Amino acid sequence: MNDDLEQSFVQQLKTNQNIIHKICRLYTNGDDAHKDLFQEITIQLWKAFPKFRGDSKFSTWAYRVALNTAITLYRKSTRTVKTVDYEKQQFFISQEDYNFEEEERLKLMYQAVYQLNDIEKALVFMYLEDKDYSEISETLGISEVNARVKMNRIKGKLKKNLNP
Amino acid sequence: MNMEELDLLKKDWQKSGDSFEQISEAEIYKMLHAKSSSIVKWILIVSILEFLFWSVITVLLNDDKYQNQLHKYGIEDFMFVVNSINYLIIIVFIYVFYKNYRNISTTDSTHQLMKNILKTRRTVRNYIWYNLAMITLSIIISIVMLFSHNAELISLMENAISKGHKMLFIIISVSVSAVFIMIIIGLFWLFYKLLYGILLKKLYVNYTELKKIDL
Repeated sequence: MNDDLEQSFVQQLKTNQNIIHKICRLYTNGDDAHKDLFQEITIQLWKAFPKFRGDSKFSTWAYRVALNTAITLYRKSTRTVKTVDYEKQQFFISQEDYNFEEEERLKLMYQAVYQLNDIEKALVFMYLEDKDYSEISETLGISEVNARVKMNRIKGKLKKNLNP
Repeated sequence: MNMEELDLLKKDWQKSGDSFEQISEAEIYKMLHAKSSSIVKWILIVSILEFLFWSVITVLLNDDKYQNQLHKYGIEDFMFVVNSINYLIIIVFIYVFYKNYRNISTTDSTHQLMKNILKTRRTVRNYIWYNLAMITLSIIISIVMLFSHNAELISLMENAISKGHKMLFIIISVSVSAVFIMIIIGLFWLFYKLLYGILLKKLYVNYTELKKIDL
């Protein structure tokens, strides 16, 4: 692999690294695991990079490889423990609209998301990223109708977890 | 969770995207040269070891002593044909495995990627079952040959027949051989169940989960 390719890859990854961070946050618990998964995703992206022809956006392409790595290739269990350590998880609420009630609500919502299984997390992730159902269906390899049905079920499940 | 809550979550999620500690170019360069520990890599390593193991077993079993024995029993030509076919089948297995392995791509959909990984796995599993079947077959052939050519066994059998225990003798011989073969196959089955159970547990769970959505 030549240096130009490597440089171009590193730059694009650096610009788009938040995609990977977000997936790591969703699928791991703690800094070490986060870094470990980030590294594995980087390796897989680099391995697949020669196949990336630029006919889609780097970010769109990276979503798929990163999710596939987290769900399929990563060997360590990505399932988080049932009780998530609240304090370890960062919730990013900016100071100006700080609202105690809202923060508590968000904490509970994040905890409910963490309790989902790997596949459900992938759907929620793409939903939160504002991906449409055609992209969700293409990324996971399920039909669009079924992706929609499943997403509605997940919403129901989250609701149940939140208001037992 | 009602729609309002999901919107709140979405808003927070998208806002939070920029707050990660950024990784530098130098760190990314370092990661590119780090070793992957992906499941595909482990399956490849284990599969190569398996191919090697069974190839070595096939070669080891086929030594001069074994050839002389075959010659004595007069099935040398027959076994030569069987062995040639055997080697051919092994080569086909390795070729199919390699082709499946090359098809694994992280740019496929999650469902397709999982299917491709499980396909490479199935190739190796079939290869192992094929080998176990071949071993079972050679044990059966050896036993038949022993009974028809081994002088000690033949006299033992004649002795049993003269005492009227022919059926008993046959039943005991067949049972002992069957138990022996079953123990060997059972051990291999257990070994592979454990090995791949550990390696593929997560993949299977997620694959089943994904397939359930599309039912």
